[in-house]
Amino acid sequence: MSASFSRRALLKGAALGGLATTGALSGCSSGPPPGAATWSMWSSSPEEQRVWTDFGHYVERRMHIRSASTLTPSDGYPTKLDLQLVSGTASMVTALNGWLIPTYASRGAHRPLDDLIAADPDFDLDDFYPAIRSISSFAGRTYAIGFDVAPTVLYYNKTLLERNGVDPPSPTEPMSWDTFRHLAIELSKPKDQYGFTCSPTIDDLVSWIYCAGGNVVDGDRDTSPLDAPEAMQAIHYVVDLFTKDRATPPIDNLVTQNASGAALANFLQGNVAFMQNGPWQVLNVRKASFEWDIVPFPAGPAGSRPRVSGSSFAIPSGVTGDDLDLAWRLLKTLTSTGALDIYARAGRNNPARLSAASAFEPPPANLGIVQRILKGEVAGGHPFDVTTNWNRVRLLLAQDLPRAFLGQKSAGDTIDGVMPRLNALMRQHRDAVRQAT
Amino acid sequence: MAAPTHTAATAAPRRTPRGPLRVRRPRRHGSETLAAWLFLLPSLAGFLVFTAGPVIAAGVISLLDWNLFSPPRFIGLDNFARLGPDDTFWSALGNTAYFTFVSVPLTLLVSLGLALLLNQGLRRMAVFRSLLLLPYATITVAVAFVWVWLYIPHDGLINAVLGVFGIDGPAWLISDDWAMPALIVMSVWKSFGFGMVIFLAGLQAIPQQLYEAAKVDGASPWRTFREVTLPLLSPSVFFTVVTSIIGSFQVFDQALVMTDGGPGTSTTTLVMYIYRTGFENYEQGYAAAQSMVLFAFIVVITAAQFLLQRRLVHYDL
Repeated sequence: MSASFSRRALLKGAALGGLATTGALSGCSSGPPPGAATWSMWSSSPEEQRVWTDFGHYVERRMHIRSASTLTPSDGYPTKLDLQLVSGTASMVTALNGWLIPTYASRGAHRPLDDLIAADPDFDLDDFYPAIRSISSFAGRTYAIGFDVAPTVLYYNKTLLERNGVDPPSPTEPMSWDTFRHLAIELSKPKDQYGFTCSPTIDDLVSWIYCAGGNVVDGDRDTSPLDAPEAMQAIHYVVDLFTKDRATPPIDNLVTQNASGAALANFLQGNVAFMQNGPWQVLNVRKASFEWDIVPFPAGPAGSRPRVSGSSFAIPSGVTGDDLDLAWRLLKTLTSTGALDIYARAGRNNPARLSAASAFEPPPANLGIVQRILKGEVAGGHPFDVTTNWNRVRLLLAQDLPRAFLGQKSAGDTIDGVMPRLNALMRQHRDAVRQAT
Repeated sequence: MAAPTHTAATAAPRRTPRGPLRVRRPRRHGSETLAAWLFLLPSLAGFLVFTAGPVIAAGVISLLDWNLFSPPRFIGLDNFARLGPDDTFWSALGNTAYFTFVSVPLTLLVSLGLALLLNQGLRRMAVFRSLLLLPYATITVAVAFVWVWLYIPHDGLINAVLGVFGIDGPAWLISDDWAMPALIVMSVWKSFGFGMVIFLAGLQAIPQQLYEAAKVDGASPWRTFREVTLPLLSPSVFFTVVTSIIGSFQVFDQALVMTDGGPGTSTTTLVMYIYRTGFENYEQGYAAAQSMVLFAFIVVITAAQFLLQRRLVHYDL
């Protein structure tokens, strides 16, 4: 066969090839099948993926419809969700971390659910913990339905405490700050052993601020109360644990230390006595090679009132008509007692529904305190107060707070430097709330 | 010199009474023109869709107040006016300039030094060349993670080696003073391979006769380098400088992975700030205004380099 081609034939071939490729690419574009129940969620580990796969099966069994979930690693989830919402390709139901709900609600990205809840006699909002109902609301309206909720607790290394002749803390009576600090210092032998670990970020610092009676956000004023004496007392207390008491593992770099898993990594090494974290880490801490348990967060001047955080499912504003009806049924299924049983039984976190609470079971032995704290029977909690521009607040504090934790700047100077910009963000938040209402 | 032969394709220029020379365009067969366009089309479409389109879109978005979800609102040049009092923007621009004007010369020096070394006719040069090119060929994020580990203040390899010489190494990535130099060192290590390959190709294109002539004339090695190598390598240097400066102004990934822009904003680069403004703070218009300023900086600096090239770059062997 002759291998020679005329130029015309070559050009014709190239053009046909181009057309064929274009056709093939357009044919390959995949999407959920029509009529499927689409939902999106973050998922960063095979264990998480297994839970969401089970959720998918549950949805198909209950709704007799195809479940199509979009799972994205947690780091990239918000950006992907933003782009999907803007381009109109978001799922019917999207998972939201509680601290982002005011951000999306104030911008009209998700719809309020009050009309759907009111029109549905089968749906009982009272079965959800009050804290998650507060976290999922904005300007007096419900924008999402929770699937998990939990207070920050204190993990402790039983083995290490025993080795050092220290009695385990009470599972019902929170330690005072003085006792905690004393223990953290006593159990620290720098380079070999440390008393305490947390990340040098506002997400962790805020629990101490609430326990001191302070806050970052104040609903009544146009300024942030972060420089108020209560908040400053908490900031000094935690910064001193890092810089003066040397009771924490040294900060080696800002990237991993700012990540939520950094404190966990320190604790799992087995040479840290106490770690501040949520029960959502129970599943990971079960891999530890030492004995451990959880106790309530240490009580400051205002008591034990650590951050209570949670996550929810919401419906994007673009979902309308028949899709809206399907989306609401899907949302109800994803947050039903049956689904949350799957979630809690896998040990992911404390479920948002009271009726599913019993599925979140020990180990550790004290796991039940999580629900008792949420019910107000033991210690207490404080729903995570955030603004409509919390991303910016977080970023501002992420840039400046580490300098205090590293001892490069005093806590007072750090907060003084931050306040003008923080107050500007608070004013912006108030404007956003005013416009949204 | 032989007189040029005129053909249909190289028709002589014809002087018109009104103006200067007018060159008659060679006639092309219609199908050839069509073929040219067909072959150019994919690149042209790619340029229009992925380069020109976004630049124009960014220009338009920079005039809007747009948080992604609500309808955009036209606000004219307000986003550009916000840049003036925005300390973080100027700090990010300063950090980017610092990174660029330290890392680019350092990278060029290391690249040139290694290229000169490899050009000496070493045995197994291909092996050395491949090994030295490895950092450039490796994904930046992966390399950055390794360097984070190397830079750990207490147990990191770099401070351990410094400790052998009795030097108490700094807390590299968490120090106000050392975080940016640490990023620059990593960046030089990561990118010298690119310049090295370009310089090596340039060095191998220089005729050996010129070196032999210089030797006969008794020129010292330094003078030979200054008078022969450097001028004839100037096109390679120019290309490397232009591409390196453009790349450095867009530095993002290594700073994000190694320092997250900190401590404070000491390693926040302009592209990182633009990304955060647009996708973390939901201020698309303001982010677009910042990116237009970055675009303008790169255009001005590149144009200045092209103007300088007329005096400093020699294309004739």
